[in-house]
Amino acid sequence: MMRDRSAPLAVDGLRKAYRKRDVLDGVTFALRPGEAVALLGSNGAGKSTLLGCITGDRLPDRGTVRLCGHDPFTDLAAAAQCMGFVPEQPFLYPELTVGEMLQFVAAARRMDAGEAGRESARLLDLLGLAGAESTLCRELSQGMGRKTAIIAALLHGPKAILLDEALNGLDRTSAERLTSELDARRAEGAAVLLSSHDLDFVGAWCSRGLMLQPGAQWRMLEGDEWEAWRRAPSLGLDPGALTRPR
Amino acid sequence: MASNAVRLLLGLELRRLADPVRHPRPGAWVAVLLPAALGIAALWLGAESVRPDAADGDGAIGLGLLASSPVAFWAYPVLFRPADDALLRRLGIPPRASYALRALRLFALTLAVVLLLMIPYAATGALGTVPIAEALAAGLVAWGAALFALSGAAMRIVTPGRRVELTSRMMGPDPELVSAGPLVWAPLPPVIAGAFAARLVLVGALPPLVWTVVFASAAVGLAWVGAGRFARALPRFGPQANEMAYAPPPRAGEAGLVIGRGLARVLPQRVGAVRARDAAVMSRRFRWAGRITWPVAIICVLALLRAGESAAVQGWVTGAGALVLAMHAAALIGLGRLERGGTRWMDRTVGLTARDRLLGRWAAAFGMALPLAACVGITWGLIVPDSSGWMWLLAAAASAAVGSAASLAAAGR
Repeated sequence: MMRDRSAPLAVDGLRKAYRKRDVLDGVTFALRPGEAVALLGSNGAGKSTLLGCITGDRLPDRGTVRLCGHDPFTDLAAAAQCMGFVPEQPFLYPELTVGEMLQFVAAARRMDAGEAGRESARLLDLLGLAGAESTLCRELSQGMGRKTAIIAALLHGPKAILLDEALNGLDRTSAERLTSELDARRAEGAAVLLSSHDLDFVGAWCSRGLMLQPGAQWRMLEGDEWEAWRRAPSLGLDPGALTRPR
Repeated sequence: MASNAVRLLLGLELRRLADPVRHPRPGAWVAVLLPAALGIAALWLGAESVRPDAADGDGAIGLGLLASSPVAFWAYPVLFRPADDALLRRLGIPPRASYALRALRLFALTLAVVLLLMIPYAATGALGTVPIAEALAAGLVAWGAALFALSGAAMRIVTPGRRVELTSRMMGPDPELVSAGPLVWAPLPPVIAGAFAARLVLVGALPPLVWTVVFASAAVGLAWVGAGRFARALPRFGPQANEMAYAPPPRAGEAGLVIGRGLARVLPQRVGAVRARDAAVMSRRFRWAGRITWPVAIICVLALLRAGESAAVQGWVTGAGALVLAMHAAALIGLGRLERGGTRWMDRTVGLTARDRLLGRWAAAFGMALPLAACVGITWGLIVPDSSGWMWLLAAAASAAVGSAASLAAAGR
């Protein structure tokens, strides 16, 4: 399963420690095309670390990551083409306008300029940023900056969409529109891994949940277990139910 | 594919560089031009003291060290720590394209260092082929050697199962420091090679400018080889470089702001709070700026006690003191740039005015410079005939004021 190129994302035996403190240990899962998986856990549980290891922003101590079958540490360009990532604190060039930022991202991803322009305009309109193309990124509010980062991540039609608290700071209308857009992408075969503290939302929208807990413990909640969690969402689990670090 | 990406990155770089002109902001100009003008003025006014004799072998080595050191030590942040590194990797920009742009940035920095070093020669009417050729040769060799050495060090660090070198094992018991050993030592060969190149320019076998061309060709060759090493290292070293920048938390007992202790008692409470915060942030985030103060102060005092009547010693003490104050000013401006992330917003919500912030920051900066200004000032006043040590305190206060103003300007709106 781990070498299946049709899986947008496959993680196998991932381990990461910071100065001898284990954060992740043996994390193994795969995203199937079209599904949305919630990444759950309290602050400091390792959600951003896991996303960083997947996107190549953090170097795992052990284990493998495959994005559409490509290793982000050895086949950077192909893995990058497969993924769209919105970090918790996205980087935007402060000197560029929103329009210039999106043009740069499209050109870096070698998209056709006309197609990129049309898709940018559609997504800007969808998220309520139409007319903000000439605003400098340094002058954007937090929510507007996040929307720009979301558009930059979705522009090229990625197969693996990774969102780290991406819905935070979005107004209700934009959040609903983004969810509809993600549903449309899922219908086309993209998979979403979403970290969020809005437990009711992820319970309703996602089909599985990867629960991380401090001490490098983790568990994939699916089937009846996920249904049970959805009825009473929380960030705590029976310690006996969690995978022990090896 | 890489050449298209290089063109794209160059276009982006030019657009970013043009930002102060496209969207002029007084703060951005003040933060750059004010320290630059002060630095140039200091080099011009102190030209006689800080200018090595380029016609002499020792002077050539001195000039070579001055040209190669900043290039070698800035190479690491330029190569591996740009703010957009993670974004570019996630966009699939080929590492060779990122390398090309960063090598160009380091090259521009090299030329800027050489230009700055020529100011004292121009000020004293000694600008000629020899100092230009020496500084250029040293700078270019350091540029090529730093690209080569740092890329190689990064590659060694991410090589699985590498044998740890003796030089790295010498660095102590911390396994993470030992693992980063190749990077710690990597700037030294470029510094030494730069000084050696400057000295060779004086050898009469070839005209000075021909030597420079020879060294430039060698530097381009080294940079070319460095590109391959960088491309192999970056996907795994990029994230590691990010983690290596982690600042450990303060030791037990160091945490907690100390407000209103010692001389800071005279400050109003809000100003005192800003001073304490800024001093804590600078001592942790810009530790190098604070660490340099006491060693330089002690060396300057010893030099003055031993041969304070000598004009040359007075010149070097002045130069060293000015350098430390300039480093403090750079740390202050760095602090201002950090605040773009939101500290200003927090200051506004708790009711701190621009005056509180300016005075508090000035007090923190002056406190950092005080050991140097007081020790050297007192010794200077006692040893140097017909002089006043108060000038050192005035210089420290003035440099802290200019640095603080530039820092607040750099923080933006």
